[in-house]
Amino acid sequence: MALRGTWQLQKLIVGFCDWGGSSRGIRAFMESHLPAFKASNPQLEVVTELIRGQHPHLKGLYRNKNERVICVKNLTPEEIHLHATRLRNALGRKVVKLKTRHVTKHPSVQGTWSTALKF
Amino acid sequence: MAHRRCLHVLSRHAAALLSLKTPPTLPFSTSISLKGLTPFQHRSLISSTLGPTNWSHYRHFSSNKNDDEGEDVDEDEDEETADESYEGEEIGDTVPDLGREYTLEEKEAEAAEIGYKVLGPLRKSDRVFKKYEPAFAVVQIGSHQFKVSNGDSIFTERLKFCELILNKVLLLGSQHQTIIGRPMVPDAAVHAVVEEHALDAKVIIFKKKRRKNYRRTKGHRQELTKLRIVDIQGIEKRVEVATAA
Repeated sequence: MALRGTWQLQKLIVGFCDWGGSSRGIRAFMESHLPAFKASNPQLEVVTELIRGQHPHLKGLYRNKNERVICVKNLTPEEIHLHATRLRNALGRKVVKLKTRHVTKHPSVQGTWSTALKF
Repeated sequence: MAHRRCLHVLSRHAAALLSLKTPPTLPFSTSISLKGLTPFQHRSLISSTLGPTNWSHYRHFSSNKNDDEGEDVDEDEDEETADESYEGEEIGDTVPDLGREYTLEEKEAEAAEIGYKVLGPLRKSDRVFKKYEPAFAVVQIGSHQFKVSNGDSIFTERLKFCELILNKVLLLGSQHQTIIGRPMVPDAAVHAVVEEHALDAKVIIFKKKRRKNYRRTKGHRQELTKLRIVDIQGIEKRVEVATAA
């Protein structure tokens, strides 16, 4: 979502087709949910793009120059809203399996224990 | 099962009717005949008098999403919401209810169960990110415990409604002092900021039984929340070094 107070998702491109049937959900999403989504995220630049003859997608551009594309063909507007919210909630980092659940730069405060330590 | 349920409902209705003592809305013949009928005739009577659309009213699902909304509402509207939720159970199982409004008490109650308290969204003017201080705390969230310090990040299960949160603290420590809780330290707090809600990498759950023609593949992505620990309160971090006289 945000790193040290700054939002990570900079731009959201909503690509859709005005003729195709797979874009029906995203066209409904643009009428129903998109204005509310834009209002609740004023820091986000939302752009709608017409791409004729292709399936609809959501493209998210992050601050670390990473681009995440989600194909939303044949989805309902609620599901598309969920995907858009997920894009906004994520940082732009690569999705890899977690090594540890706790990431720290200072693992010890009172000194690291060793067998030679005497209290 | 349905017989028992409709009998239960009927007995309630009958009790309500009998206790009213005013002429009921149902025709007089049905109120008399309710007492001595078989369950099958009961059901057909009810459906004929009240109409076929009302049958769904008597079905209550344990995970009814519209439970809170339907409390103060009229009977007619309650039936409609019951209908909608019934369809929602069948078809839209995977789509979460994004528009559900939680009341403040519900939020606090749910949050307190897991072990954190929501303080509210982070404003631009809040200067929360501090330099590293030599103090740590053992904090519990959900069923997991972590030893945290200022500036660490923690991955937990997906937390609902939170921006800046407080945790329940089990143990506090600094360079020269350790405070142990039994089991928790009162008046101690750890502040954290939500950094992201994201999905973990996909794990593929593969099941196979050899020579039995059985093979299953299932993909799973866990929803996680990344928290950045910002502040630890309840312990003195820098102790003045006593100068030798």
